[in-house]
Amino acid sequence: MNVKFNSILLGGLASTMLIGAANAQDLTLWTLNFSSQASNDAMEKIASDFEAANPGVDVEIVTRGTDDHKTALRVAAGSDRGPDIYFSWAGLGLGGEYIKAGLSLPLDTYYDEYKWDEELAPSAASFSRIYEGGRQGVPFTFKGEALYYNKALFEKAGITDLPANYDELVADAEKLKAAGIPAITFGGTVNWHVMRLMDVILESTCGAEKHDALMNMEVSWASESCATDAFVELDKWSQNYILSPFMGIDQAQSFNLFLAGRAAMMLEGDWLVGQLTEAGNIDDYGVFPFPTGTDRLYGFAEYHYISTKSENPDLAAKFLDYFISTPVQQATLGQFSTTSINKNVVYENLRPIDQKWLDIFNDYSEVYMNGDQAFPLDVTTEYFRVINEVASGNTAPADAAALLQTFIDNRS
Amino acid sequence: MTPKRVLADSRAQAVLLLGPAVIIYAVFALYPMVDVVVLSFQKWNGLDPVRQFVGTSNYVDIFTKDPVFWVAFRNTIIWTVLSVIFPPIIGLLLALGLNQPIMGRNTLRAIYYLPVIIAPIAVATMWRWMYDPFFGLFVQVLSAAGLQSWVQDWLGNRDIALYSAFVAHVWQSVGFSMVLFLAGLQGVNRTLVEAARIDGAGRWNVFRFVTLPAIKTTMTIVLVLSIISSLKAFDIVYGLTGGGPAQSTQMLALWAFTQSMQIFDFGRGSAISVVLLLITLAVVVPYLRWTQKREELE
Repeated sequence: MNVKFNSILLGGLASTMLIGAANAQDLTLWTLNFSSQASNDAMEKIASDFEAANPGVDVEIVTRGTDDHKTALRVAAGSDRGPDIYFSWAGLGLGGEYIKAGLSLPLDTYYDEYKWDEELAPSAASFSRIYEGGRQGVPFTFKGEALYYNKALFEKAGITDLPANYDELVADAEKLKAAGIPAITFGGTVNWHVMRLMDVILESTCGAEKHDALMNMEVSWASESCATDAFVELDKWSQNYILSPFMGIDQAQSFNLFLAGRAAMMLEGDWLVGQLTEAGNIDDYGVFPFPTGTDRLYGFAEYHYISTKSENPDLAAKFLDYFISTPVQQATLGQFSTTSINKNVVYENLRPIDQKWLDIFNDYSEVYMNGDQAFPLDVTTEYFRVINEVASGNTAPADAAALLQTFIDNRS
Repeated sequence: MTPKRVLADSRAQAVLLLGPAVIIYAVFALYPMVDVVVLSFQKWNGLDPVRQFVGTSNYVDIFTKDPVFWVAFRNTIIWTVLSVIFPPIIGLLLALGLNQPIMGRNTLRAIYYLPVIIAPIAVATMWRWMYDPFFGLFVQVLSAAGLQSWVQDWLGNRDIALYSAFVAHVWQSVGFSMVLFLAGLQGVNRTLVEAARIDGAGRWNVFRFVTLPAIKTTMTIVLVLSIISSLKAFDIVYGLTGGGPAQSTQMLALWAFTQSMQIFDFGRGSAISVVLLLITLAVVVPYLRWTQKREELE
């Protein structure tokens, strides 16, 4: 009896140890529950393919809504447990907060070991270098934002050439206005939509270096005249060229108005190509980068970060290496984003607008990111408020930069 | 002492029966409340392992440096004042009407009460579409009636956005007041009403001198509940405007949520919550004392 009991006990212990060994090969990835089912399916397929290629490894994809995901990461940051890999945005804002809190593992050794820079598009990979203390995260997607335009409305307004600089863009907006066509549409209830206009104007009036200094809060908004100039321009656009009223509608309604031909342009990301394709004839629309005069593309990136809490950082790096590899990125092309973060992916049978986006991505090696990705969260909220105050005509543009700077000063 | 004897003791019985409820209340209501008060004196972003004690600086910040707090405070007061005027008056009028022996009375009562059971966020979505300045119901109706100039950016114009949101709130909450008043009207002594009529009192005088005093308690309950619910107004404003445009429709409860769960400044969010709690207590405590005194008198 005792022998039998001991055998069972030993067997149990052995099983437990084996399970423990198997658990050592567990990999958990926390990400968003994407609105596109194709993205969710692609993520699951990549996980199962990686498992098949690495026997004994179990990859668990945990998906959540955006706010739940942010909250879960905060809980993970304060505990000993958490994912091996987590999704977040690139930039000093939200993504940077987790890095500052020590949730992300510097990946310099893995970048060297796997030679990721030989595979990654430079614009997408550039965000990994913006943090102190080493390279953080590996690109998941890279989104560029540019001006989509309705070809027929441009033609109706007599616009034959696309604007090459900001002044020409304003001149074209004036031509559209003269033809009775609102130049551009935005949805004001989602603060980040009108913010895009402010971001690109700021890049135009301040130039790359000063724009970055302003977003990093290294120089005073109140004393930089280009910041006030940007608010003056924002006011001009909101009073003259944006389809009104716009403060009471959201981005989705704004898109419907663009589709209905009620406005000539929309400042959107490369993801809009899919929506335009589903909604109508994609050939009716063209796209061009906002002519800021700097050689930088407006955009943001989404990254996968390896958690400092991970017990298997090597395995996590191996998974990310697999994720960004050319065959995987080629197979999932278009399912996460229009273009891949892998520069070796081959694009075939492209429509003109897809080709245009590819050209845009190839033309630029530097990016400037959305204000809400660049600023800390509290400053972002105030940035939204000041922009909306100017856009709705409640604050004089001359006072706006000082208002924002007062908030920044009060933080310290 | 045997367990049987212990159970026979009324004090022990009370402890046993109340114990679970007290524990649940302490864990899920009392502790979070105390923790929010403690957190209001700390700085914490939800990421740092340590909460840093900062004294009263969160309160100083919200009172002196926060550009939105006083806007939210003012809006909450406006919302509360409007909430104790309009929904109760409309609810009382509806209750008086539906207390009469009219055809379809029960159906009408159900129809007027229906919005109360709809989730506020669903009500917000519905009204947002009605307020749409391009495709919404109001713009269609006004345009069809030739009143194009009356069309407004209902939720985008800061001068009217708060009131537009309040109209949706009235639509949803008026049924609640109506039901309470209907219950109160059932307690009006019919003999007194008939006696007043025999004495020559008209409709207005019957209402003023018989009905109104009889529903005084109901009115107090409706007003206090309206004040409490309006002080914590959140979901319908969140769904309709998100506090915009430019934070002009912010409310204290929504701003506390924004600070804590979107900006992740839990200290400031808690300080705003504590201010809101104190305002609510200033209303609730006198009400509780009043009801206690009333019960003692009865």
